[in-house]
Amino acid sequence: MRWVVPEAEHMAEGTLGCQGCGGALSMRLVLKELGKDTVAVLPACCWSIIDGPWPVHALDIPVLHTAFETAAVVATGVKAAKEIQGKDTTVVAWAGDGGTFDIGLQALSGAAERNEDIVFICYDNEAYMNTGIQRSSSTPTGTWTTTTPDQRPEARPKKDIMGIIAAHRIPYAATATAAYPEDLERKVRAAMAIKGGMRFLHLLSVCPPGWKMEADQAIEVMRRAVRTKVFPLYEIRNGREYTITRWPDDLPLEDYFSLQGRFKTLLEDEAMLELVRGNVEERWQILLDRHQRSHPELAGAE
Amino acid sequence: MPERLLLTGNHAAAYGAMLSKAEVISAYPITPQTMIVELLSELTASGRMPAKFITVESEHSAMAACVGASSAGARAYTATSGQGLALMHEMLHWAVGARLPIVLTNVSRAMAPGWSIWCDQNDILSQRDVGWMMLFAESVQEAQDFIIWMYRVAEQVFLPGMVGMDAFILSHTAEPLIVHDQDAVDAYLPKFEPLYDLDPAQPRAYGGLVNRDHYFELRYKIYENMDRAGQLLVEAGEEFGDVLGHKYTPLEGYLLDDAEYVFVSAGAMTSNVRQAVRDMREKGIKAGLLRVIAFRPFPIDGIRSILAGRRKVAVLDRNMSAGHSGIFAEEIRSALLGQPDAPPVYGYIVGIGGRDVRVETAMDICDDVLVREEPEMALFVGVKGLPIGPLRKDASIRPLQPLEVMR
Amino acid sequence: MSGLEHVDDYPEIPVSLASTSTILKTGAWRSVRPIFANRMAPCSAGCPAGVRIPAYIDDIKEGRLEAAYATVTARNPFPRITGRVCPHMCEDNCNLAITTGEESISIRSIERWLGDAGMDLPDPAADAETGKRIAVVGSGPAGMAAAYYLRRTGHEVTVFDQRPQPGGILRYGIPEYRLPSEVVDEEIARLESMEINFHNNVALGRDFTLDDLEAAYAAVFIATGAGQEKLTGIDGEGLLESGLDFLEAANRGTATLPGPRCAVVGGGNVAMDVARVLRRLGADVSVLYRRTANEMPAIAEEYEHAVADGVHFHWLVLPRTIKKDGAQLRVTVEEMWLGEPDESGRLRPEPTGVTCEMHFDGVFSAIGETADTGVFPPRLRNDDGWLDLGEDGETVDQMVFAGGDLATGPATVIEAIVAGRRAARAIDEQLGFSAVWPAEEPLEVVPPKDINLTYMPHHDRSDDHAAAGATAPASFAEETDTLSEAEILEEIDRCLSCGHCNNCGTCFVFCPDGAIIWDDGPRIDHEFCKGCGICVAECPGHVMVLVNERDVSHA
Repeated sequence: MRWVVPEAEHMAEGTLGCQGCGGALSMRLVLKELGKDTVAVLPACCWSIIDGPWPVHALDIPVLHTAFETAAVVATGVKAAKEIQGKDTTVVAWAGDGGTFDIGLQALSGAAERNEDIVFICYDNEAYMNTGIQRSSSTPTGTWTTTTPDQRPEARPKKDIMGIIAAHRIPYAATATAAYPEDLERKVRAAMAIKGGMRFLHLLSVCPPGWKMEADQAIEVMRRAVRTKVFPLYEIRNGREYTITRWPDDLPLEDYFSLQGRFKTLLEDEAMLELVRGNVEERWQILLDRHQRSHPELAGAE
Repeated sequence: MPERLLLTGNHAAAYGAMLSKAEVISAYPITPQTMIVELLSELTASGRMPAKFITVESEHSAMAACVGASSAGARAYTATSGQGLALMHEMLHWAVGARLPIVLTNVSRAMAPGWSIWCDQNDILSQRDVGWMMLFAESVQEAQDFIIWMYRVAEQVFLPGMVGMDAFILSHTAEPLIVHDQDAVDAYLPKFEPLYDLDPAQPRAYGGLVNRDHYFELRYKIYENMDRAGQLLVEAGEEFGDVLGHKYTPLEGYLLDDAEYVFVSAGAMTSNVRQAVRDMREKGIKAGLLRVIAFRPFPIDGIRSILAGRRKVAVLDRNMSAGHSGIFAEEIRSALLGQPDAPPVYGYIVGIGGRDVRVETAMDICDDVLVREEPEMALFVGVKGLPIGPLRKDASIRPLQPLEVMR
Repeated sequence: MSGLEHVDDYPEIPVSLASTSTILKTGAWRSVRPIFANRMAPCSAGCPAGVRIPAYIDDIKEGRLEAAYATVTARNPFPRITGRVCPHMCEDNCNLAITTGEESISIRSIERWLGDAGMDLPDPAADAETGKRIAVVGSGPAGMAAAYYLRRTGHEVTVFDQRPQPGGILRYGIPEYRLPSEVVDEEIARLESMEINFHNNVALGRDFTLDDLEAAYAAVFIATGAGQEKLTGIDGEGLLESGLDFLEAANRGTATLPGPRCAVVGGGNVAMDVARVLRRLGADVSVLYRRTANEMPAIAEEYEHAVADGVHFHWLVLPRTIKKDGAQLRVTVEEMWLGEPDESGRLRPEPTGVTCEMHFDGVFSAIGETADTGVFPPRLRNDDGWLDLGEDGETVDQMVFAGGDLATGPATVIEAIVAGRRAARAIDEQLGFSAVWPAEEPLEVVPPKDINLTYMPHHDRSDDHAAAGATAPASFAEETDTLSEAEILEEIDRCLSCGHCNNCGTCFVFCPDGAIIWDDGPRIDHEFCKGCGICVAECPGHVMVLVNERDVSHA
C-alpha cells in the first residue's frame, strides 16, 4: 500500500452514513490513529445516526451520546473521571459544525479556555445536514440550504472557528480533510502526542446530499477545497505558531463550486462570486502572513 | 470521630459532598449557592477532598460534565439555584435517561424577572417531571445528610437526585452541624459501582438512537426504579439512623396523633410552621404538622394514611403553578382523590420571592382555615392590600402609572 | 429485534455492543457496484507481445524481482534485448503522456533494467519432458523465442543456424553499440542452460532439406529472417554495397571503409545503423532519403542519434544512377516532392524531374530487406514467392511452422519474438499438449479519460543515459547505460498502473464504509458497499469500474 495509513479498522461496516459520507470516512480515518484506548463523545449530529440505532454500534470504541451543545464539556467530565481513576484513555469530542460553531460553541470555548485534556474534532459539512440541510454559521457565502434558498442564499462568510480556537491559546489546532489522509493522520498523531491540554481538529467533511453533488466526487471536492484555498490545511501551535501543511495551487474557485449544486446560484452571480473570491484571498493572505511570521527561517520558500 | 461545627446550609452541603466522596464536581457560581462552590474549591484545592473540580462556564455544562463523569463511573456532584437549575433542565433529563446517579443541591431561589435572589421553590418544582428524586431539607444538618442519603438510594436505582435547600433561610444560616465520621459514612455509602464506565475494553455505545419499538420499555424501567426508590428511601433513612445516628423518613409528622387540622409544609419554613402548631395547641386547637421531605418519589401511601379522617388539611406552598394552585397542595389533593375519609385540602400560597413566612403567617392561615367553609385551590397569603383569600374575579391588566413616591 | 419480547429483556439504558452494525446490510442501498475490471493498459495493448507492463512495474516496485521477470518472460523471454533495441510501441499511448502532456513512462529502460537485473534468475523449470523433438531453423529472435517456449513446455529443441554463432540479426545485424554481443552471448547461454541445442554453420537447402527435418523431428519452426537487401532499381545497382552485409561485417570486426565519403540510401533502421557504423569507422556520411524526416520509418531516437553522431541527411532525394568515376562514385539524384498519402498513410514522394549530382567513395543500400524463400519447397510458397502462412505460422505441412521476418518482411525484434511464441504454442497444441499459455484475447483498454492523476508524483522521465566514456561517434561500446535501481524506482513511481491493481490502497483508504477489505490487497465487500463510487473515481489506474447492479444480478 502506498498510503502511510494504519490498516487497523475501528469502524465496522454497516454504518448508516449516506453514500460518499465524509463524516463516516473522517471517523474511520481518525480512529485509525486514535486507536482503541479512546472514548468518543457524540453530541447530536449525523454520527448520532451513522453509528446505528440501538442496539447497533459501528465503532469498536466506547461512544457516549450526549446533547447537542455539550460535546466538549461531557468529554471534559469523562476525562475528569478517567483521571480520577488513573486511566490514560484519550477522550474525543466528535461534533458536527452545528455542535461546534453554533450550539456547541459555549461549551467548546469553556473547555478550550480551561485547556481541558481532550481532543475536540469537528467534522464540518457546513450546514445542519442531519435535520435536512439548514444553514449554520459554518455555511459559506453564496450557499444554498433549505433556510438560505436560491432567492436568498447565505450572505455571510463562514465563521472563522480556527481564529476563535486560536484565540484560546490551546496547544494544538489544525485543519484537515479526509482527501489528504496522510496529512490528516499526521495531525491526529500530533494531537495525540500532546498530553494535558486541549487539541482541536477542524475537518472539512463532504456531504454529497447536502452539497448536491455526485457521491463519487466526494474526495475530489474536498481536495479542490484545499487546492483553491477555500479550506487551507494548516496547524496552529499554542494559538500563535501557524504552519501551512499543504500548499494550494492555482485551481480556480469555480472548479470547486462547479462540482456542487449548492453553489449553483453563486456561480451565476458574478458580484457575489467576486465577494467570495475576495474573502477567500483575504483569509489566505492572513494565514500566509501568520505562517511566514511563524517561520522566518522559511522566508521566501514554499 | 464526628465533629460538631457551626456552619451554614451551603457549607453543610459542601461537607455532604465531601463525606460522600464525590469524585468529580462541576459547578457554576450563582447566588445563593456560591458558597458551596467556594468551599468545595477549597476542599479540592487543598487536597482534603480528592476530587476533580471543573469550573465550567454554565450550569448546563455543569450538569453535562456530571453526565460525562458519571457515565465514566465517577460519583458526580453539583450545586445550583434558580436560573441555573432551569438552564440545566435539558441535562437533568439526560441524567435520568442515561440512568446516572448524580446528586445536586439546589438552593431554591425565585425565578426572574424581576431578578430575585430570594427564596421560593418554583425553581426546583419546575423540574418535577424530569425524573429526579427530590428531597427538601429543613436544617443545616439535613443539607449535609440528605446528600449522603440521596447517593445511597440513587446508586441503587441508577437515578439522579436533588436536595432542595431554601435560599438564605437555610443556605446562609449557621446552625450546629454534626460532621459525620468518614469511616461511618463509608460504611453507609459504599463505593459507587456504576452500571457502565466507558471502558475501552468494553467498547459499547451509550444512549444512541432508539426507535419506537423500544423507547417505551426503557422509560417504563425509569418509572419502576423511581417507584423502588420510595421503599429504598425508607430503608436507607432507617439505616442512616443505625449507622450515622439520625433516622430520616420521606414524611415527618409533628403532633399528628389526634390532630384535626393538619398543616403541610416543606423546606426551611417548616420550622416556623412547627412553632405555630405548638402555639395553636396552646390555644386548644388540635393542630398537627406534616412535613414532606421526599417530593419524588412522592410518598403517596404515607400521605393517604396520615391525612385520612382529618377535619381539614392546610397546605403551605412556597411556590405557585399559575393557572392551577400551589404544587404541594395539588400533589396532595391528587394523592387523596377518591380515598375514603379524604379531608378537604386548603391550598395556601406563601412566601413567594423571599417574602418571610413567619410563625404569625402560619397562625393567620390557621385562623383562616378554621373558619373557611369550602376549600380553595389557591389562597394567597400576604399579597399587599388583600386579605387571605382566592384570586380576585375582577382582576385586570393595568398600565404603568407614574408613582408619586418615585419622584 | 429478537430477544426483546418482554420489558425484563431490556437493559437499563440503550447500550449497544461494538461492531454490531454489521447486521445492517447496507449493500442493499446500492444501485451500482464497483468491480475490479479486467482491463488492459494502453502500453500493454501497444506491445506486440502484450507484455503486462504495469504488472511487472508493480512487481519491481514491491521488490518482487522474480515475479517481475516471470511476468515479462511469460510473453517476451528477452527483456535484456528488447530493453535495448525495441522501438517501444508501448510508450506511444501512455495515458500519463496523453493526459498530462508529460513524457511517457520510460518503459523500455525499465524493461532493460529488469532484463539485466533478472539475468541470473533461474527461468521457470521446463514442464515434464514430452519426448518430442523439435527443430528450429534460424537462431534470430523468432527462433530463440520459439526454442525458449518449446523448451519450457517440455519439448526437446534443436536450433540450426547457417552462421558460426547463434543470434541472427541480433548478433550480425544490430550494431554493437546498440546491442553488445555479450548480451546476445549471455541470452544464448541462458537458452543453452535450458538444454536447448544449437547447431551452427548449417544451412537449410545447403546442408539439409526441410524434408530431412520433417522426417527426424516431430515439428519444425523456420525463422530464417529477411537477410537480403531489396534491389533499389538504381541504374548502376551493382555499384551499391549491401547495408546488411556491411553491418554483419562490422559486427564480425571485418568491415572496411570504401573511402572517407559515404552515402546510405534509405530511411529505415538499417539505414541508420549503417550510417552510424560508418561514422564510427570515420566516414563522412550522408543519408539519402526520398521523403522527409516525418515519413522515415526509422525509430525517431535512432534518427536523433544519427544526427548527434554527425550524419548528414538529404531529404527528398532519390538516386537514379550511379556511375564509377575513378575511385569515386558519381550519384545522380532526382529531387522529389510530397504528394498525397499512400496506402501506408505517409505522403507519397513524387518526382520533380530536377536532378543533381553527388560524389561519394561508397554508397550503401538500406531501403529494405527481403527473405530468400527459394530454399523452401514450392508447396509452402504462394504465387508471390512468399511462404503461405496461417495466423500462427502454420504451413501446408501440418508440423511445419514459420515466422519472424521470413514471414513478415523486416519488422521488429519484438514482433519476431511474438511470432516465435505463437508458433511454439501452435506446435505444442498441434502435438496434443496443453501447456498454460498467456492469454491472447484482446481486452478493453483503459482510456485516458478514466485516469485519476491526483496521486502521481510529477517528475521528469528518466531515459537510458549516455554511457560513461562512450564518446560518439568513435566507440562501438554500448552507447547507453542501464539505469540504476534508484532511477528505475523513481521512474516507476510515475506509472499510473492503468488497469492493473498494484495494491496502492487508494480504494481502501477512501472507502467511507470500510467496505474494501484489505487482505494482502483490496477486496470489495458487496454486502456493505453502498455504491458511492469513490473507489472507482479515485483509483489512479482505473482498475475499478462501476456496473449497474441490475446487470450484475441478472448476470
